[in-house]
Amino acid sequence: MKTTFTVFKKELVDSLRDRRTLVAMVFVPLVLFPILISISSSMLISHEKKAEKRTLRIGLVTNGNAADFREMISARGDVRLTEGITAGEGRALVRADSLDAVFVFDPAFDEQVAALDAGKVSMYHKSTENAAIERRRARGLLDEFEKKLREKRFESLDLDLSIIETVDMGDENLASTKERLAEQIGGLLPYLIIIFCFTGSMYPAIDLAAGEKERGTLETLLTSPAGRMEILLGKFGVVGLTGILTALVSILGMYIGIRQSPEIPTEVLNAILGMLEFGSIVLLLSLLLPLAMFFAGILLSLSFFAKSFKEAQSIITPLMIFIIVPAFIGLMPGMSLNSTTALIPILNVTLATKAIIAGTIDPGMFVEVYVSLIVLAGLSLWVCRWVFGREGTIFRGV
Amino acid sequence: MIVVKDLRKTFKLSRQQKRELKNTPGVRADGTVDAVAGISFTCQPGRIFSLIGPNGAGKTTALRMIATLLKPTSGSIEVAGIDAVKHPQDVRRRLGFLTGTTKLYDRLTPNEIVKYYADLHGMEKSVFEKRKDELFTLLDMNDFAKRRIGKLSTGMRQKVSIVRTIIHDPEIVVFDEPTVGLDVITAKNIIDLIRRCKQEGKTVIFSTHIMGEVSLLSDDTAIIHKGKLIFCGAYSEFAHQMQGRSIEEEFIRLIEGAPR
Repeated sequence: MKTTFTVFKKELVDSLRDRRTLVAMVFVPLVLFPILISISSSMLISHEKKAEKRTLRIGLVTNGNAADFREMISARGDVRLTEGITAGEGRALVRADSLDAVFVFDPAFDEQVAALDAGKVSMYHKSTENAAIERRRARGLLDEFEKKLREKRFESLDLDLSIIETVDMGDENLASTKERLAEQIGGLLPYLIIIFCFTGSMYPAIDLAAGEKERGTLETLLTSPAGRMEILLGKFGVVGLTGILTALVSILGMYIGIRQSPEIPTEVLNAILGMLEFGSIVLLLSLLLPLAMFFAGILLSLSFFAKSFKEAQSIITPLMIFIIVPAFIGLMPGMSLNSTTALIPILNVTLATKAIIAGTIDPGMFVEVYVSLIVLAGLSLWVCRWVFGREGTIFRGV
Repeated sequence: MIVVKDLRKTFKLSRQQKRELKNTPGVRADGTVDAVAGISFTCQPGRIFSLIGPNGAGKTTALRMIATLLKPTSGSIEVAGIDAVKHPQDVRRRLGFLTGTTKLYDRLTPNEIVKYYADLHGMEKSVFEKRKDELFTLLDMNDFAKRRIGKLSTGMRQKVSIVRTIIHDPEIVVFDEPTVGLDVITAKNIIDLIRRCKQEGKTVIFSTHIMGEVSLLSDDTAIIHKGKLIFCGAYSEFAHQMQGRSIEEEFIRLIEGAPR
């Protein structure tokens, strides 16, 4: 144990003095990450603000109808009206992004309304993610007009508008903001933590195994009285620890990024910060521990197998896809923790974290996830021990 | 003392090696080859044993087996009275190993590296401090003891390697081509170290293909070629039976005359 700690201490100092480890462990999650969060949320908010304030470009083909509607939108300061176009021209202008929407009224619109029928009107728009706000605003104009027509119709029939309500439904969403947000963005937190945990372990694992082999320091270390398992456990501990530390620093980076982001609604901000509360973090950490050990075992096995630092990099980098895909699947709506998903590595951590954040984690499932991760971590250490014990691997290319 | 008896190490060739070395003498049909093919010798305390041979002769493999880095396929190795196959850790406690290709940790300082190896050898703090001060002074290392290895010259690094090898005062010291690629001044530090080890009564074994070092240092000599010993005995005996005009010539004569 003493020897393992000696190796651990030395490897930790050595790793923390490595610029690449420091960049992956501190600079990216603590500096770059908050800046990225801040910039992207500022850009999103400023896009939304611009879209809300921007003058709406509306095409109008009334066919001699809906004078009230024309009057209503002409009076608005936030709408620029284009008239004297045909429906076909209107479509073309929307497609070319010259107009946000075109309203085409049926030639018999006024008659239909007068006959107490539904007046026909078409709205042409380009419904893409970017133009969602403009579409909502254009639709709002028509809704306002419809409301006025309805009021007029009820008045002419001497009816009270309230009779239209046949059911007085009380709609109360009992899901807390935290739960709703956990569903929407809760998956993002484990996704990022998993990626950071992996990338944080990557450089130390490559450096402490393939790097040492290439530099010839591993051979020297093996001539010391330290046993193979003692050496391996020391390295394993450092790789796992840097993974955990990187993940923790990324949580801190996320916290700083969110705090610095301008104009995030208070309700959302509080809910997000609530996700990072002490209890959730402790549970998250308990999952992170076996996950980081699992990563350490895999990374060190591959790194010991490689002849050089470069070869280890080229073997390990493509492995990222096996980390990203299951983590990403966990982000998909409808994916939840069950007895099967609890056994799939990485996906189980994403889903369990989502449930922890939402406060809906089932203790039985949590234990299943935890046990499966511990088994995997043990298995990866066993593989690593086997690789490290092989003469052919250790002296491969030496 | 090191006692090596009928030592053999067989390696399995990779698929590519099998293709490349097909029909090469020594390579068996099952794709195995003997890097060391049944060698026996004894290294005595207070004497320097040189293992000489051309590249690929099996010197490094033999020394790695003595240092317990590789397990012999058959045969036995006894180091300081301990069976190296059964008790490798006990052997490593009594052994110092230095190779010419050994590198140090660039991000650590000489102080940290030497302390690391002392800790791995379980040295007591007071014993370590005394020994470190003595060696650092002897090799004039105090000026750069706190500088990172990455910033040091080759000569300075080699001094650190020397201290790292003998900090625990081992009974047995193994040098595998320790002067390869070094300049004359740096190589002299190694030669001095080997002599010092002899004076202290340690068992010293070193491999080389630099004949000048052999005549300068050897008490006993073995010539290894294709995994087999073609000469093993006192250096004086080797010098006495020499037919060539120089050691180099005699070495080449023996190698060329060896069975293929």
